[in-house]
Amino acid sequence: MSAIFEQVRGIAADLLGVPPDRITSQSSPEDLESWDSVQHLNITLALEQQFQLQFDPEEIDQMRTIGQIATLLEQKLARHQVWKQ
Amino acid sequence: MSICIQSYTQELVAAVRAFNGRLAAGGVSTEFCLPEHPAAGLLPKVADRRIYQEYFLARERDSVRGAYILKHQDFSFSGAIRPIAHLRLPISEGIINKAYAGLALQMLRNALRAHSSLFALGMGGFQQPLPRMLQALGWNLHEVPFYFKVNRPWRFLRHIQPLRKTPARRLAMDLVASSGIGWLGIKSLQAMRAQKSIPQFAGSVQQSEGFSAWADTLWENCQRQYSFLAVRDSATLNLLYPPGSGRFICLRFEGDDSLLGWAVVLDTRMENNKYFGNLRVGSIVDCLARTENAPQVIAAAVDLLEQRGVDLIVSNQSHHCWAAALRSAGFLRGPSNFIFAASPKLADSLRPLDPQRTRLHLNRGDGDGPIHL
Repeated sequence: MSAIFEQVRGIAADLLGVPPDRITSQSSPEDLESWDSVQHLNITLALEQQFQLQFDPEEIDQMRTIGQIATLLEQKLARHQVWKQ
Repeated sequence: MSICIQSYTQELVAAVRAFNGRLAAGGVSTEFCLPEHPAAGLLPKVADRRIYQEYFLARERDSVRGAYILKHQDFSFSGAIRPIAHLRLPISEGIINKAYAGLALQMLRNALRAHSSLFALGMGGFQQPLPRMLQALGWNLHEVPFYFKVNRPWRFLRHIQPLRKTPARRLAMDLVASSGIGWLGIKSLQAMRAQKSIPQFAGSVQQSEGFSAWADTLWENCQRQYSFLAVRDSATLNLLYPPGSGRFICLRFEGDDSLLGWAVVLDTRMENNKYFGNLRVGSIVDCLARTENAPQVIAAAVDLLEQRGVDLIVSNQSHHCWAAALRSAGFLRGPSNFIFAASPKLADSLRPLDPQRTRLHLNRGDGDGPIHL
């Protein structure tokens, strides 16, 4: 798993109050009881603060599992790096 | 399958109906149901009307998964008129299906992109999901105080639900009511709070069918005293409180030689209401006057409602002069679940005008209107 994935997992585990090893790339609000709309927002905001970016509404729509969140974040960071160059 | 957010159109009526059905099956209150027609009901966008509503639906292929409403309205910022929008609902399928847990944030971000100066009002208290999310998003939240005055203590004690939640409490309230102790205690407390120094209203009160030029004159005379309030000219007021509705009692208060102000009140017989039981509740929903006349307007409105025989009078008022007027009339402050939330941009606009937020004029006439009174 990538470093980004591990950071996403760590943030989610911390906010959701579950051990990190309980969170996989397939983890979603449907299988983690403490993950509701408010917590989804908190996870998103924590990632935005950690990585100094903001997700568009269309990107938020793609953030349905931990794996998808990590992939989206990697792509967004990569685009940001390209832009900076 | 991706979700896009779009305006409500005729082709989505069946999907909206199905969405409402899923919410109802999931135990969600019908107050969150969407209208099953794409016209915005009250306040559609018509010609150059400055107050109107727009519905936005979160669409996933042929299904609706959520919605929010923007009510566009002009507000006065210490006399400068600017358009802002009231964010209503939003409602997401995530409330019954956690697969859509991210939709609420998606809709909130979408709404802010459409209009950065937004506010939300009401919301049932700070602990509800929406205010918690708005606070996390950097919105500025504060409570709009709630005041009440008991007119008929016996009925109040027998029906006010928050004081009667357990069998023991119900028995206690019944005993207090029957013994007369409740009457004495409530009337004494309210009398102690009331200020005898406030002059009795000596003018005339007229029930008005609608608002006209007199309301426009008052609006021009008053607005700069307030740091923030919705435009309350006659055209807007007649839309919000339609003449002949049979529901809104519009009162006009005349002093010796001038119009002092107006108030919109309700006189509602509640039925199994979760707060008011079967009480007859008078509400001071909306009002406007120069702030120095607020005590007389409140006193006159209260007197009218008491004469009508209501059991209880309630009002939410944010402006310190109107709140003081209620206290002077013997009102007690109760717990409020009526929250004002300003988006970051709106909060930035308000901060230099009113850092302590004491001169914002918000009440139950704002936002959704008095839908639960």
